[in-house]
Amino acid sequence: MKLLLVEDNERVSQFVIKGLKEAGHTADHADNGRDGMFLAASEPYDVIIMDRMLPGQIDGLAIIEALRKAGNRTPILILSALSDVDERIRGLKSGGDDYLTKPFAFGELLARLDVLARRAHGNSTETTLDVGDLRMDLLSRKAVRGERVITLQPREFKLLEYLMRHAEQVVTRTMLLENVWDYHFDPQTNVVDVHISKLRQKIDTERELPLLRTVRNAGYMLSASVENNG
Amino acid sequence: MNRMIQSSAFTLAFVYVAVAIAALILFAAPLWYAWQVTIQDGRVELLQADAQRLTEVFRRDGPDGLKAFIDTRVGLQIAGERILLLTDPSLRPLAGNVPAWPEGMPVTPGMSTIAMDLAGQSTEAVLVRASLPGGYHLLVGRDVARFLPLERRFWYGLAGAVSVLCIVGALGGFLIRRTLLSRIDSIRRTVHAIMQGDLSHRLPGPQSGDELDTLSHTINRMLDQIEQLFHGIRDVSNAIAHDLRTPLAELRSRLEELSLTRPSTHETFAEIDAAVADVDRVIRIFNALLRLAEIDSGMRRSGFVPVNAAELAVQAVELYVPAAELKGISLTCRDTGPIPVSGDPLLLAQAVSNLIDNALKYASDGGKVTVEVQRSAQGAVEIAVADDGPGISDSEKIKAPERFYRGDTSRGTPGVGLGLSLVAAVAKLHGGALVLADNHPGLRAQMLIEPNAERPWRQDTPSGLSAAPAAVDGLELARVGTFAAIKSQPLSR
Repeated sequence: MKLLLVEDNERVSQFVIKGLKEAGHTADHADNGRDGMFLAASEPYDVIIMDRMLPGQIDGLAIIEALRKAGNRTPILILSALSDVDERIRGLKSGGDDYLTKPFAFGELLARLDVLARRAHGNSTETTLDVGDLRMDLLSRKAVRGERVITLQPREFKLLEYLMRHAEQVVTRTMLLENVWDYHFDPQTNVVDVHISKLRQKIDTERELPLLRTVRNAGYMLSASVENNG
Repeated sequence: MNRMIQSSAFTLAFVYVAVAIAALILFAAPLWYAWQVTIQDGRVELLQADAQRLTEVFRRDGPDGLKAFIDTRVGLQIAGERILLLTDPSLRPLAGNVPAWPEGMPVTPGMSTIAMDLAGQSTEAVLVRASLPGGYHLLVGRDVARFLPLERRFWYGLAGAVSVLCIVGALGGFLIRRTLLSRIDSIRRTVHAIMQGDLSHRLPGPQSGDELDTLSHTINRMLDQIEQLFHGIRDVSNAIAHDLRTPLAELRSRLEELSLTRPSTHETFAEIDAAVADVDRVIRIFNALLRLAEIDSGMRRSGFVPVNAAELAVQAVELYVPAAELKGISLTCRDTGPIPVSGDPLLLAQAVSNLIDNALKYASDGGKVTVEVQRSAQGAVEIAVADDGPGISDSEKIKAPERFYRGDTSRGTPGVGLGLSLVAAVAKLHGGALVLADNHPGLRAQMLIEPNAERPWRQDTPSGLSAAPAAVDGLELARVGTFAAIKSQPLSR
């Protein structure tokens, strides 16, 4: 993935760029609004990471609005210390695709970038989802693993659907809460973990290859590939 | 400021006096006019009656009879105010107290006012003429100048009244200024003392129940509120200091130890992970505080939409059911059908989640937690979460929603002590309150919300909320806006 980071804080920038490089991505960096605007408009990127408050007369939201007005559809993740719900709504309304509040865990950022990059290429019109021998029929709302029919509660179905749509990607607990439950806050106990372990019991029996994996310090991943199975 | 009050008091007195003088003049002018008209009309009538009588005498007794009559009258007259003159057709005087027909006086019958000489003095007279048979002329008049002193006295009186008014006005202005200044000065002194940091000062109590007393009363109430907020901030900063320092101290010692002892790589990584967990804890507290600040500011009210409270509760229960099962607790939600309210779905969901989270924490093992949504008798919507745990004492029921309050029984359980504060703040935002009651056994946390809480909460009553018991409510009220101060710190940037 080729990414652009527009962020004025040196330390955060270093941390993000190093992490992105280690994850196998290339990243350009702009530390002010003007340069960020220039790079975003002239180079093709998979995802742009945009801070909101930037030096150089033009702030993050203004850049996003200008890009969108010019017809640029590159997915943009807004990275900001402004955490109010209203601010989040403003960010998404201006044309951002996702909003992550500082301070953040790098795993969370990476997982969201992955989702954004793939969303831009993927199509959502399919009626069946497949991960390994796990198959989900979105029309009849049924899931089977091999020959075995898995009975799911409506919410479990939604959870599995989200995981399957983002198969081979790390999804974080926050992403699950936001997308499956539509809860934009942090419940104090790890309720998501319990839901996942219940779901895991249903889809991964002892004799089968485990598909639903826990990714340490980040979240979960539904994966059928063997080399990811660490 | 002092000079301004002085000048404003003077201006006030000046304007008062000017207005009073204008009023006096406006009052005197019609009076003057009425007086003038009445006197003139009366005078003319009198003169005409006089002329009439003399004409009758003339008709009865002839010119000589009238001449004799006039001579008698002139002789009797002590004061020279009456003018009488009888002339023959060629205007030669026959009788009367005027030596000749006045110059410029027309001969035709009627009335006129002219200036004339009378006994060597120039004066003004009103004269009525009558033509008598045989061409004789009769002049009956009255010397108006005799009334001039009266007129003059009237004007003197008016001038006197104006001067009295000026003096009294100036004196009044001075007195008003002194009273006003002394009282405003006492307000100023009090406010100044408060600005110096002594919040216990209050303005003097009601003296006469006037506007200044009302103002003092309002200021005192404002000071009460400020003092409460101030103490609230102090309590909260103490609590923050305690609750943030603890994880920060742990973090610091962890990192310092790591730097000093330089343990094996494996151990180092374990320590780093623990350090990140410490930081996450601090971030979680910050997030909770910022969310509270957001709610306290009342800004979220703009995001109110129609919400089905029952469905919202069902969803929250659904989220927690697996976690409850893991603890062997039965978590159920009584289905009541849709209960529409106007509110912020995100905040309501978070509040209900917090209540469930809390109940699960304290419910006995193998116990049960029930969630109910219903309309209460007062018209409020009640979202109640009841557990069968140990419950809390009555004094704790008041303290529990306080920020960072953690009950004795909760020591050792996870959480930052802001869960119930958030519920209370959310309930308040929705025009209601959080009420903690007994569940016999256990705790029943009731979040009361106003179904149509779009309008701001009523500010006329001190407690502000309708369905809330005073204790819990007053407690929360004391902290309104507390976090707005924290919010404006660079922290949120």
